[in-house]
Amino acid sequence: MKLTYRIALRLSLFLLPLMALWAVLFYFTMVDEINDEADDALDDYSEMIIIRMLAGRELPPLNSGSNNSYSIVPVDEAYADTHPHIDYYDAEVYIPEKEETEPARILTTIFQDGSGSYYELKVATPTFEKEDLLRAILFWVVLLYILLLLTTLTLTLWVFHRSMRPLYTLLHWLDHYTPGQKNDPVPDDTRIQEFAKLNAAAQQAVDRVESVFEQQKQFIGNASHELQTPLAVLGTRIEWLLDHASLNEEETGELLKMQRSLGHIVRLNKTLLLLTKIENGQFPESSTIDMGKLVEEQAELYQEIYADHSLSCTVNIGEDFSVKMNESLASTLTSNLLKNAFVHTEAGGHIAITVGSKQLCISNDGKQPLDAEHIFDRFFQGEKKEGSTGLGLALVKAVCRYYGLGLEYRYVDGRHTFTVDWR
Amino acid sequence: MKILIIEDEPSLREVMLRALKEEGYVVESASTYFEADAKIAGYSYDCILLDIMLPDGNGLKLLEQLKALRKRDNVIIISARDSLDDKILGLELGADDYLPKPFHTAELKARIKSVVRRSRNDGNLDITLGNVALDPESCRVKVAGKEVELLKKEFDILRFFLQRPNHVVDKSVLAEAIWGDHADQADNFHFVYAQMKNLRRKLSDAGANIEIKSVYGFGYKLTLPETE
Repeated sequence: MKLTYRIALRLSLFLLPLMALWAVLFYFTMVDEINDEADDALDDYSEMIIIRMLAGRELPPLNSGSNNSYSIVPVDEAYADTHPHIDYYDAEVYIPEKEETEPARILTTIFQDGSGSYYELKVATPTFEKEDLLRAILFWVVLLYILLLLTTLTLTLWVFHRSMRPLYTLLHWLDHYTPGQKNDPVPDDTRIQEFAKLNAAAQQAVDRVESVFEQQKQFIGNASHELQTPLAVLGTRIEWLLDHASLNEEETGELLKMQRSLGHIVRLNKTLLLLTKIENGQFPESSTIDMGKLVEEQAELYQEIYADHSLSCTVNIGEDFSVKMNESLASTLTSNLLKNAFVHTEAGGHIAITVGSKQLCISNDGKQPLDAEHIFDRFFQGEKKEGSTGLGLALVKAVCRYYGLGLEYRYVDGRHTFTVDWR
Repeated sequence: MKILIIEDEPSLREVMLRALKEEGYVVESASTYFEADAKIAGYSYDCILLDIMLPDGNGLKLLEQLKALRKRDNVIIISARDSLDDKILGLELGADDYLPKPFHTAELKARIKSVVRRSRNDGNLDITLGNVALDPESCRVKVAGKEVELLKKEFDILRFFLQRPNHVVDKSVLAEAIWGDHADQADNFHFVYAQMKNLRRKLSDAGANIEIKSVYGFGYKLTLPETE
């Protein structure tokens, strides 16, 4: 989940109920306030009527156009004692002018005149205006609530994005980082302390990785170089024994086996050196290679070497396709892929090689899919084969990386397929 | 024929010395740049085997030294660094060949012979053993003066053995020499055997007095006529 979404989600999780609560509170306070206003108006009205009546002045007409209405009823003392002298309540009131009942706010007041007799005054004001007002308030509260929520979220996210830009720059840079390759420097264009620290930490980590990578590369290179001389000595001594000692069949056989094992070490060593050289980019010179021709020649050679495996091999050269590559690297690439197919196909199997439309595709029969994650790793071997260095596909990968070629392994319908893509 | 070995690794120097002495060469050795410089200045050699990574200097400098002294000694560079740059630089500085470590003794001997022959015979590079003569330039083989038709691989195999007389060659070594790295994982060497069978038949049909013999089924060895 992206951090932005996370923050938006959390914010809404808190803001939604909080602002809803606020809206409800606001609404009810408003309702209260409006009732209060209405009651105050009723108060004034009833006071005015009582004062006029006590003073013996003319009472206001029943219908003064204000929709307010009143009635004065004389009551006995017992009624006055048992009822509250001032009481507000809501009720349906019949309005004779309109000939219908309407919801209204009512105030009843019980008072005494100069002669000591009790009267009950009932003042009513219709509340349909209040309803309208409340509906309007509710509508605006809800609308503003949604608007406020949206603005808050948008603003927060925008501010967040703006402030986090250095982080995203760093993340983007990390996506493109490959150890041991030429990389852009770690971005360093922020004045914010935390991000500057983060960038510095990234720079440090990268420096460390690079130095370890370099050391490892150098170590492999140096170790391989140092091995060359003792290997030469050993080989020469075995050869001397073979040529000079009078050996019987068994002894000769042992010596030759030693020589073969030695040959294996020498090959391994050479391949490691080659890998190191490719990774160091020590193959600058390149020429135009006719891929079709190269693959065809090599396929012929392998068919000769593996003639007794009764493999069938079809080479399909499509359109003419030449690439710009170092000659020995091109040969390393194709020969290792081909050798891989020839060595690992069981007797009677079929190998299909297709060259064309900027692609080299080699497929062969196989019982089980290979571990696509690791087959291009050094010394990763599904099944140990005598004389195999376990570096063939690592070389293929190194060459592909050197030239930025696409390299893909697939297993479909009982066939391994390796594809090298120049596009 | 006089040969100078410039190599700092004592063990390798010893085996090279022994192998070349057996060939009947007069062999001297130097283990440091300083020593080598003194020998080069003082004497002339038919062939100098030069390790370019010396403890007290770069062997390539010795090539410049030779040039400055106007010496025409043949030089074969021997290097643990199989680098194209070194090779090109070495050959440009006047070295005659470049042999990366580790190498087979037989290969070294063959290279020495080839380098010396090139400088002596004024371009005649024929390799002759017994009544078989091989011309690497035109890819022709004559047995007792009569031309024999050989296929490309058969020719390569014959040349390989003519440069290594009396030397036991393992099938895997032969396969790698002729078929290249492609053959390094072959589990049997029937393809070597098939070519070898044809070559031997062609040689004996033409009446060659050299023979490529099988050694206990492991490898082969070229033997010379025992007439002397």
